[in-house]
Amino acid sequence: MKDISRDLTRRLLSDRKLTQLIVVALIVFLAFSILVPDLFLTPRNFVSMAFQIPEIALLALGVMLAMLTAGIDLSVVSMSNLAALSTAYLLVTQVTDGGGNVYLWIVIAIVIGIVVGLISGLANGAIIAGVGVTPILATLATLTLYNGIAVGIRNGQSIIGLPPEFTAIGNGSFLGIPIPMIILLVAGAGVALYINKTGLGMQSVLVGANQEAATYSAIGVKKVLLMTYTLSGGLSALAGLIIASRSASANPDYGSSYVLLAIVIVVLGGVNPYGGFGTVTGVILATAVLQMVSSGFNALRFSQFFYQLAQGFVLIAVMILNTYVDKRRMRAKKDKAPKES
Amino acid sequence: MSYITPLSKRKGLQLFGSPNEIFLIIAIAVLSLVIGFTNSVFFSIATPFDLLRSSLIEILFALGLLIVLVSGGIDISFPIVGIFAGYTTVVIMLNLGLDTYSLWIPLVLAAIVGAILGSVNALLIAGFGLPTLIATLGTTGMFRGFLLSYIGSVYIANIPLGLDEFSTADLISIQTGSGTLARLHVLVIPVLILAIAIAFMMRRTMFGRTIFAIGGNEESARRMGMNVRWTKARIYMLVGALSGVAGILYISLQRKADPYDLAGTELEIIAAVVLGGASIMGGYGTVTGTILGVLLINLIKDNLILLGIPGSWQRAAIGLMLLIGVMSQAIADKRRAKQATVIEEDAS
Repeated sequence: MKDISRDLTRRLLSDRKLTQLIVVALIVFLAFSILVPDLFLTPRNFVSMAFQIPEIALLALGVMLAMLTAGIDLSVVSMSNLAALSTAYLLVTQVTDGGGNVYLWIVIAIVIGIVVGLISGLANGAIIAGVGVTPILATLATLTLYNGIAVGIRNGQSIIGLPPEFTAIGNGSFLGIPIPMIILLVAGAGVALYINKTGLGMQSVLVGANQEAATYSAIGVKKVLLMTYTLSGGLSALAGLIIASRSASANPDYGSSYVLLAIVIVVLGGVNPYGGFGTVTGVILATAVLQMVSSGFNALRFSQFFYQLAQGFVLIAVMILNTYVDKRRMRAKKDKAPKES
Repeated sequence: MSYITPLSKRKGLQLFGSPNEIFLIIAIAVLSLVIGFTNSVFFSIATPFDLLRSSLIEILFALGLLIVLVSGGIDISFPIVGIFAGYTTVVIMLNLGLDTYSLWIPLVLAAIVGAILGSVNALLIAGFGLPTLIATLGTTGMFRGFLLSYIGSVYIANIPLGLDEFSTADLISIQTGSGTLARLHVLVIPVLILAIAIAFMMRRTMFGRTIFAIGGNEESARRMGMNVRWTKARIYMLVGALSGVAGILYISLQRKADPYDLAGTELEIIAAVVLGGASIMGGYGTVTGTILGVLLINLIKDNLILLGIPGSWQRAAIGLMLLIGVMSQAIADKRRAKQATVIEEDAS
């Protein structure tokens, strides 16, 4: 019985956070539609947003997986750039004009890119679970290391001129839906399945809720953490490949401000930074909200620095709101408790 | 059992004698010999002087971060607080026509701006109880966005006279054999005094002991009747002021005020403090260790070329070094934890 009631409250909680988020999304949408209708409320703007959302949402999903286990992954952007650079490097060296089997090499390059991401993530996991370094420190260090390797590969230069067959993936649409969006939806569904339906995924939530309890319940915490950070690396690699494909280039220093953005999204998406709770839907919805804010600010001609200020502000506002709501709910529960018994 | 530090950790509070600090000293010595034997240019009086000059600002930031880490928190906003306070000070002084030779005006001004920014962190962490990483990540975005949107996003080459002059204030300058001038900056002395003051504060004052107690176990500290919130608030304001001072001194040594500077240096400084033996879980850390950590990282960073690492791989080398640093620290922590349990078992 207890399990059922806990499951129910968890679901209600997720619904409450999702409802909040939907309300926020509507407010943001209406605000910009009224303020800059001619620039914001256009099909073109929405198509362009649909192309921009997937990469950052995938990075945020990686951070979310780490946060579910009460950790954090600050190296997502470095991993995504490293993967993108590896793929791009293979593409420009192997796919020569007209010669060679272009499609075969594209598939190989994509697989290699994802493998690079998975390996980077696995290394993070090994450092965190095996050596016992705190996730913040471990991923701070690998952030520099992976970025350094990406810089080293090509002397800090970006790789440009990727073959059109590859860039078609990031810029194309299938049945009117941008391909990156399809990739995001498939990956998102995969992550949701992992968290809710697989043993390791459910255990990862338990590890985040209470690591000590998880250890005593014979949950293989190390295995869970390894899997978590490996998946985070894989998701980052996907994001990197989409970025490379969309921009037809790979740059070791792309998107350094995405770390803050990804964490803002995850927290706005209702993921508990202390671990134990988070939903894929929330994260994707939060990405959409921030993308609307970004494109709305663009339409209003605000600078990117102002957007950074807004991100920081949103992060803190959401955190303060959450602590207040949680405190009030706790108090409400306490008041109720004696009557029930 | 002690609320403040377990027996096995208490040794570290002495100036020398902590295994970690001895290890750092040995590492610095061995590394110096290796670099020196691969390239004899290294064996010059200019080397330690340059090392000190490049480490001074980082030591200031690192000491602030040490206080935060000991209290069980983390701060990643300090570089932006530093450059915000420094740049704003320069802008204020130039706008008010305060292009003086005074050094106190900019220092005090930067400390005030830094303390104001620090009090934002204090409000969020001590007031609202937000997790320190998320709170300072948020304020990093806010401060940076505010600085670049409202205060200025251009590089200022003509910094006030006093700051400009201070950049060449040398304590000692020696003509070396190779014809270059080996110069030791005068800032060494105030930084040393400040380090001693912070060490004294951490060890001998009620405030300092409370910081250790909070970092060791916050709930225990609260139940002992310590004012946890107010102590935390003071920590973040103090660290803000310290970062502000470091920021204006950085601008002075660089002889330019660039609002894009210092971003990203938090990684290295966090690694230096952790390498210096401070625990990210709180409750443990020393000033000596922190200074040694900064010196070791700068020694490696400044001599990567002499060590034969090609330019394009330097960042990877720094990353690898940071990783080795945090890993060795984690392994040492594990061992220490094991020792502590053994001692407890013996006692019972």
